[in-house]
Amino acid sequence: MKKSVSILLAGCMLVPMLGVFSGCSGKKADIILRVYNWEEYIDEGGEGTFIYDELHELDDKGKAVKDGAGNHVHIESDIVDDDYKAWYEDAMGVPLSEEGPAILDDFELWYEKHYGVKIKVEYSTFGTNEDMYNELLLGNEYDLLCPSDYMIMKLAAEGRLEKYDESFFDRENELNYYINNVSPFIQEKFETNAGLTGKDYSWSEYAAGYMWGTTGFVYNPEIVSEEELNELGWQAFVTKGDRYTNKITAKDNVRDTYFAALGVTFEEELLSLKERRESGELSDEEYMLELTRIFNDTTDGTIAKVEPVLQKIKENIYSFETDTGKADLVNGNVNLNYAWSGDAVYAMDMAEAENDKYLNYFVPLGGSNLWFDGWVMPKGVSERGTKQAAEAFVNFLSMPQNAMRNSYYIGYTSAIAGSEMEMLDYADYLYGYEPEDEEEEAKESVEYDLSWFFGGEAVITAEREQAERRQLYAQFPPEEVMARCAVMDYYGEEATVRINELWSRVKAETLDAWAIIVICLTVTGIALFVVYVKLGAKIDFFRRKPKKGYHKVEE
Amino acid sequence: MKLPRFSRKTLGIPYAVFLVFFVIIPMLVIVFYAFTTGVKDPETGAESFSFSFSNFLRFFSDPTKLSTIVYSLVIALVTTVCCLLIAYPVAYILARSRLKKKFVILMLFVLPMWINFVLRVNALREIFNLLSLAPALESLTSANYFKTIFGMVYDFLPFMILPLYTTIMKIDQSLYEASADLGGSALVTFTRVTLPLSMPGIMSGVTMVFLPSMTNYVVSDMLGNAKVTIIGKFIYEYFGNDWHMGSMVALVLLVVVFLSSWLSGGFKADENVRGTNL
Repeated sequence: MKKSVSILLAGCMLVPMLGVFSGCSGKKADIILRVYNWEEYIDEGGEGTFIYDELHELDDKGKAVKDGAGNHVHIESDIVDDDYKAWYEDAMGVPLSEEGPAILDDFELWYEKHYGVKIKVEYSTFGTNEDMYNELLLGNEYDLLCPSDYMIMKLAAEGRLEKYDESFFDRENELNYYINNVSPFIQEKFETNAGLTGKDYSWSEYAAGYMWGTTGFVYNPEIVSEEELNELGWQAFVTKGDRYTNKITAKDNVRDTYFAALGVTFEEELLSLKERRESGELSDEEYMLELTRIFNDTTDGTIAKVEPVLQKIKENIYSFETDTGKADLVNGNVNLNYAWSGDAVYAMDMAEAENDKYLNYFVPLGGSNLWFDGWVMPKGVSERGTKQAAEAFVNFLSMPQNAMRNSYYIGYTSAIAGSEMEMLDYADYLYGYEPEDEEEEAKESVEYDLSWFFGGEAVITAEREQAERRQLYAQFPPEEVMARCAVMDYYGEEATVRINELWSRVKAETLDAWAIIVICLTVTGIALFVVYVKLGAKIDFFRRKPKKGYHKVEE
Repeated sequence: MKLPRFSRKTLGIPYAVFLVFFVIIPMLVIVFYAFTTGVKDPETGAESFSFSFSNFLRFFSDPTKLSTIVYSLVIALVTTVCCLLIAYPVAYILARSRLKKKFVILMLFVLPMWINFVLRVNALREIFNLLSLAPALESLTSANYFKTIFGMVYDFLPFMILPLYTTIMKIDQSLYEASADLGGSALVTFTRVTLPLSMPGIMSGVTMVFLPSMTNYVVSDMLGNAKVTIIGKFIYEYFGNDWHMGSMVALVLLVVVFLSSWLSGGFKADENVRGTNL
């Protein structure tokens, strides 16, 4: 009886669980779009999002202020104004919620409204490009991925990607928000840079830009001056002394740190190239070609030159890190943090808000890295009939109003400029010079030119500090910085193996050959001895003879 | 109402299925990957496998990998010894004391286990930052090793205390009395009675600490600033782009671990193993 009761109870527990599972597929969608993106790489709605922050009065900590009755205080926003609200209502078919809607929900509304088809986005996230690649290799099906530059090239080279339809790049169709809003600079990079080094890793037809940036040093200007860094450049990694040794971080992944080590090794060459370009001896294209060649050099000779440099870097740095560097810099453990520009903006914001500390960002004069993440479609989207929806998703994210939301949430720079340069308003809103009191009025301001990104007269007035070394400089770099940033290609399969071997040699300690031999012999010796003791009792041959006068008793 | 009778055989089926799918098949997959290389068809992109010893040869001809195995072994060994030296007195005192609330004290030692591991390691990192270990000392590479081992000892200590405590608790009080009756001093009692009888606890504690501390690269990354590399980190990194080599490293580690547990079992008389070893 007891047994039957317990089985009955177990059954009762199972039933609601089944209900939950079936509940997921209760609302039938006509199309399911599987999107696989980085963690925290899309506006997820709620507090701290662009729309929420724009419509609520916030305190110093970014929390919404409450009035006496416990209600949030709403304010008028410059960007999320009546026009924006009208656009939203027109696009999604529902009025804009002040609580900050999530982009994915909005997409589902927008898609159904415009194409008359119910769509469901199945959204999942990854932590590294390699994780994403493994998932793909294991046969998981996705319709849209957001890998980084080199991974896009790798996937394209391996024939795992589907090209965007030609109609996607048709500027005449106004629903093609991507091509109509993407920054001409980014689009040109995609078209010309693909295959620049002569390798067949062309990616422009496979990818649509999402976020991009540079790499450089975030540093504490109270300890390390900008003049000093201009002088040192990449050498900061190997400079000895209290302020550098053990006070600088590098990235814990082979590609970024190999790139940095190339910078250290070939700094002189890089600087002379820059000079030759400035003197007019080299055209911009020739310069970029040379720069890209140096920063993508994986020949054996170069690896041999870079290896001792990497060892020196390892000795000199505080840590290899992926995300602890920001905190280490803010709380003063290190003075310099080699970082992606988006992280640099985050670190500067954090230092300012929490520690009242002002950090700066610096891109080495010899040249640095231009990186990007882009949307690509794996093979099979056509067969599954999701290609159109995937392209629509990219187009939806490329509407300037949505690009702002994502850029605000992520903190990185969107590849979108806006057909009417809407993103310039956003940059102006973030960094425009608007003195509110006398102290701020005294600050020096400059006319900051972003025409290179927007492809037309685009100037904002900004504080000089912002434009030359702080968030604005990191998020929307000046043209001369972009001129010296090269894309890091996929190394190719064979070179990747060699670079990874190099990385493991650098990361791990290698003992001398004799030490390894001695250790191996000792271990084998101990093992044999133990085997002897263990088996000795069981094998007759090893069995010791009884002492004189004793005899063995069989069990 | 008549219920079907569950025989031992039928009740065992779920476990057999579990073992097959989550132990045996994955193990075979690792062996398969370790002794094959992938060849990609340049046209279709499809991957085909061919049997090869190249990963094996590459592993054993690479001084870096062998050194890393040695380093990991040493780090694990030091961690285990430290854990044992700290845990044994604690377990001994707790087990033999007449304290009424000794359970509470034991719980306090074990309590950290219930808090998320990454959180604890992060907290430890912050404490080290606060102390900032005298700048001169900090610059030594050995500081990273020190912090890594400290973190591992901190992390694995409960795994050593618990088995030791339960084993020492179970030692019959009358054995101590007998030893004293026969004229054994406190030291002799400890070396001839307590220590041999607590061997099973030591063995299971050692197995529980030694094995994970060879591969726990989260500690070496966070506390050793990723400048300390142990074999687990290699496995992780290889699985980013070369599953075959990654499987080979994992397989070598498996063999090392198997051998060391088997050999350490060989040092003691069989009747002392209460099924706690391996």
